[in-house]
Amino acid sequence: MSDSGGPDVTQELRPPWDEDPDDLYEHAPCGYLTTLPDGTIVRVNQTFLSWTGFTRGELVGHRRFRDLLTSGGQIYHETHYAPLLRMQDEVHELAFDVVCADGRQLPTLVNSVLGRDDEGRPKAIRTMVFNATERRQYEKELLLARQIAEASERRVRVLQQIVADLAAAPTEAEVAEAVVRAPESAFGAASSSIYLVDPERDTIYAVASTDPTTGNWDDMPRSSQRAVARVAERGDLHVVGSVAEARQHFPDLVDSMRRSGRNTVVLLPLTTGPADDQAGVETLGVLAFSFKGERLLSDGELRVVRLLGQQAGQALDRARLYDDARRREERATFLAETTRSLDELHRLLRRTRRLVERVVPEIADWAEVRLHVGSAPVVEDSGGPRPDEELLLQRLGKVAASGEPVFPSETDQLDCSVLPLTARGLVLGTLALRMAPDRRGAAAERAFLVELADRAGLALENARLYEQERQIARTLQRSLLAGDLPGGDNRFAVETHYQAATQDLEVGGDWFDAFLISKDKLAVVVGDVVGRGIEAATTMGQLRSAVRALASNENGPAQLIEGLDRFVERVESARMATVAYVEIDLAAGEVAYSCAGHLPPLLQEPAGSPEYLLQARSAALGSKAGNRVRTEHRRRLPAGSRLLLYTDGLIERRTRPIDKGFEMLAREYARRRDAPLQGLAAGLADTLVGRDHTDDVCMLCLTLGTEERIERSIGADRMQIALLRADLRAWLVAHDVEPECRDAVLLACSEAVANAIEHGYRDDPFGMIDVVATVTDDAVEVRVTDRGTWRGPVTDVSRGRGLQLIRESMDQVLFDRSDGTTVTMRRGRREA
Amino acid sequence: MEFTRGGRPVPMGQLERWVTFSTFGDADLVSLTGEIDLANAPEIGKAIVQRLQKSGKVLIDLTTVSFLDSAGVRLLDALIGDLDDHAIPTRLVVGETGAARMTLQLCAFREDVLATDLDRAAADLTG
Repeated sequence: MSDSGGPDVTQELRPPWDEDPDDLYEHAPCGYLTTLPDGTIVRVNQTFLSWTGFTRGELVGHRRFRDLLTSGGQIYHETHYAPLLRMQDEVHELAFDVVCADGRQLPTLVNSVLGRDDEGRPKAIRTMVFNATERRQYEKELLLARQIAEASERRVRVLQQIVADLAAAPTEAEVAEAVVRAPESAFGAASSSIYLVDPERDTIYAVASTDPTTGNWDDMPRSSQRAVARVAERGDLHVVGSVAEARQHFPDLVDSMRRSGRNTVVLLPLTTGPADDQAGVETLGVLAFSFKGERLLSDGELRVVRLLGQQAGQALDRARLYDDARRREERATFLAETTRSLDELHRLLRRTRRLVERVVPEIADWAEVRLHVGSAPVVEDSGGPRPDEELLLQRLGKVAASGEPVFPSETDQLDCSVLPLTARGLVLGTLALRMAPDRRGAAAERAFLVELADRAGLALENARLYEQERQIARTLQRSLLAGDLPGGDNRFAVETHYQAATQDLEVGGDWFDAFLISKDKLAVVVGDVVGRGIEAATTMGQLRSAVRALASNENGPAQLIEGLDRFVERVESARMATVAYVEIDLAAGEVAYSCAGHLPPLLQEPAGSPEYLLQARSAALGSKAGNRVRTEHRRRLPAGSRLLLYTDGLIERRTRPIDKGFEMLAREYARRRDAPLQGLAAGLADTLVGRDHTDDVCMLCLTLGTEERIERSIGADRMQIALLRADLRAWLVAHDVEPECRDAVLLACSEAVANAIEHGYRDDPFGMIDVVATVTDDAVEVRVTDRGTWRGPVTDVSRGRGLQLIRESMDQVLFDRSDGTTVTMRRGRREA
Repeated sequence: MEFTRGGRPVPMGQLERWVTFSTFGDADLVSLTGEIDLANAPEIGKAIVQRLQKSGKVLIDLTTVSFLDSAGVRLLDALIGDLDDHAIPTRLVVGETGAARMTLQLCAFREDVLATDLDRAAADLTG
C-alpha cells in the first residue's frame, strides 16, 4: 500500500502476512528435494515428508531419490531421468511412483534441475515433486476404458459375424453349427455344446459340440434335473463359477467338469426374446460352454452372452419355421404329384403298385397297401424290412375295423403307422408304412399321412369303380360279341376277331354281327358307337338288336339304314354311330351293301387284287349335317371271294396317314389270300396294329361259296397245323366227304405238314408250306410242298410213325424230293 | 383281353382246354379232349407225367378227342411204357370209332390197353 493511497504497481505486492521463505519452502504445495549429483538426499521439505510418511532423518543422508521409486521407476530413472538430466540439466514432468514409508505408491510428476559449480561440474539436483494421484487415476481409467472398449469391440465383431452366419443358416443344423462355434471366438471358451428342445416329445437332445469327448449326450426329458433342462426351464443365463458351485446347484455337471478340467460352465438358454420379456418367450435350446480355470465374466461379457442367446434363439425359431414351411411345401408337392401320378393309371392293381412305389423310398423305408376288394385282398408292398407279421396283422385289423389311423408311440413294438384307406365313408383297405425316424414335426407328419391316405383312398376307390365298370362293360360287350354266329352252311364261313385296346381305356363301342335273315340270305354288319364304357356297350346292344329287327327279306341295306336313322332319333346315344351293312344272297351269289359313315369293306375275289367297296356311302346314323340319302350297291361275287369288314382301330394310327393304312391293309390282305380263314383276322390285326394298340379293333371276315380246290400257304409253325386242319375240315365237310375219308385225309395232311416243319424246315422257322387239295366224286387229293432240305432217310422213330400213318391212311402216296419235298396223297372216297 | 371265335391258337399254359384230371373209382382219370397234335402234345405229356407221379391205377379217356396225330401217339406210347415200367395198371378209353381210334389202329397200338368205355376199363383194372 503506498502513501499516496493508490497502489503502486511497480512494487511487489506485499502479502497480508509475513511470507517466511523457510515456511514457504517447507509447506509449499509440492515436494522439494535437493540431492547430491549421485541422488543422495541432502534436503527435503515437509510437504514431501507428509506425503510419503518418511521422517527427515530417514531420508537425508541415507537415501537416494531413486531408492524411493518402484522397481519399474528405478529402471526408468536409470534409462531416462538420469541421462536426460545430465544432458539437459533439467527434466520435466517425468512420472514416477514413489514408494511411501508404508509401501503405498504415490503417483507423482517430477521436475528436476541440475545445478553445476563454476567449473561446470554437477553440484546438486533440485527436484520438485507433484502429487499426480488424481491424474494417474484418470489415466488409468482412460486406459481401462480403452481396453474394455477394445474387448467389447472384439466381442461385438464376433457377435456380428455370428449374427450374419445365423441369418444365412436356413436349417436348425446350420444354426446349431454357427452358434456352437461362438463361445470360443467371443469369450475364449474351451468348448461348447448345443442342445435343442423337442416340444413334441417333451425332450431335450444334444445336436452339436466342439468337443464331443466331454459331457452327457443322452436325450433328457424337459423335466430332468440336469443343469441343461433346468436352465431351459428357467429361460435365463446361468454361470456355474466353480466345481464347488456345480456341486451345490447342478451335481450332474461335477463329473464332466472334473474329468475335462473345466472350472466355469456357462449355460445359456436360446430364447426367442429377452429373458425379462416373459410373455411369449420360448426356450428353443441351450448353449453350454465352459472354461478351463475359473473365469469371471464381466457385465459386458454377460450382456453379450445374453444377446447371443437371443440371436441364436431367433435364428432357431426362423430355421424351424423355415424347416416347417419347406417340409410343408415338400409334402404338398408330394401329395399333388402322387395324386397326378395315380391318375395316370386307371387299373386298380397298377394304381396300387404306383402308390406303394411313390411312398417308398421317398417318405418311408417300408410300405404296404392292402385292399379288401374282391374275394382275395390286393396286397402290394415295397421296401423293407417287413415288420413283425403278427403285430402288423393285429394293427391292420384294428385300423380296418375302427377306420381310425394308428401311429406308433415311443414304446410301440410295431414302429409303423397304419392308416385306413377310406372313400365315401367305407374302409377300402389300409396303408401301413414305416417312416424314417424323424425327430420332430410328428403332428405335421401325421396330418400329412392322413391327407395322403385320404387322397390314396379316393384314387383307389375310383380305380376300383373303374375296374368294376370296366368289368361290367367288358362282360356286356363280350356277351354281345361272342353270341352264336351262323355256321355249318357250306355256302359261307364267318370269322370274327375282337381285341380291346391294350392301354387302360374303357371298353370301346366297336361291334359286329352276322345272322341269317332267311334260309338264303345272310346279313353281316360291323359298326362303331360313339363313346366308351357301359353306355357305349349298352348302345351297341340296342343298335345290334335294331339291325336284326329291321333286316328283312324284302328291304335292302339302304332301307335298313334309313330305319336306323329313325331309331337313333329315339336312342340319342346311338347318334353318329357308323355302320357297314352287307346282305348276301347265298343262292344267287350276290351281295348288297351300304355304308353309313363307316370304313369301306375290303373285297378279295379269287383272282385279282383286293378292292375297297366304295359305293353306297353316306353319313353316320342320325347325322344332321352329313348326307343322309341312303343308297345301296349290288354286285355278284364269285365263289371263294372273301369280304372283310372292320373298324377304324385296324388302320388308323396317329403316326400314319389313313391312306397309308388302307394301302397296308390291302397289301396284307392280298398276301394272306391263301391263308386259312381261321386266324386270318387275328393275323391281320397282329400285323397292322401290333401289340401296343390304343384303340379297340373289331373285324369280321366272310368267305363265300365253296372252293372246288383249296389252296393254303402256312408258315413252318406247329401252331398253324390246327388252323389249316380247321379250314380243310370245313372244306371237306362242305363237299360231303365221308367222315372216315375226311379223318384219314386230315391225319395224312397233318402228318405231311408236321414232317415238313420238323424235318424239311428244321433249320428254317420262316419256311412256307403250300397245301393244295382237290375233291372229285371219286377221290380227295392233297399235295403238301415245302422247300426245305432233305437229309436222307428218316431215322427219327416218331417221324417214321408219321410217314407210316400217311401211308396207312391214304391209298396212294408219292414223295418227290427234287426241289424240297412234295408229298402227293390220294384217297378214294367210295372205299372206306 | 382278346377273343377270337375259332382258330386263334391258345397260348400254352391253358392246357385245361385239352387235359383235365379227376378220379374214377380208385383210379386216376386223365381226360383228353379236342385236337391233340404236334402243337400241344409235348406240353400235355409233361402235365400228365407231373400229375401221375404217385398213381396206383390210371385211366386215360380219349373218347372226346377229335383229332390225334403221330405226336399224340408218341405221347400215349411213352406214357403207357412209363406206367408199365412202374407196374401201374393203365387203360386207354377210346370210342368204337372216331379219329383217335383210327390213328391208334393205323399205328397198330397195343389192343390190350384199349377199352371202349370207362366202366369196362375200370373193371379191367380191378379184375
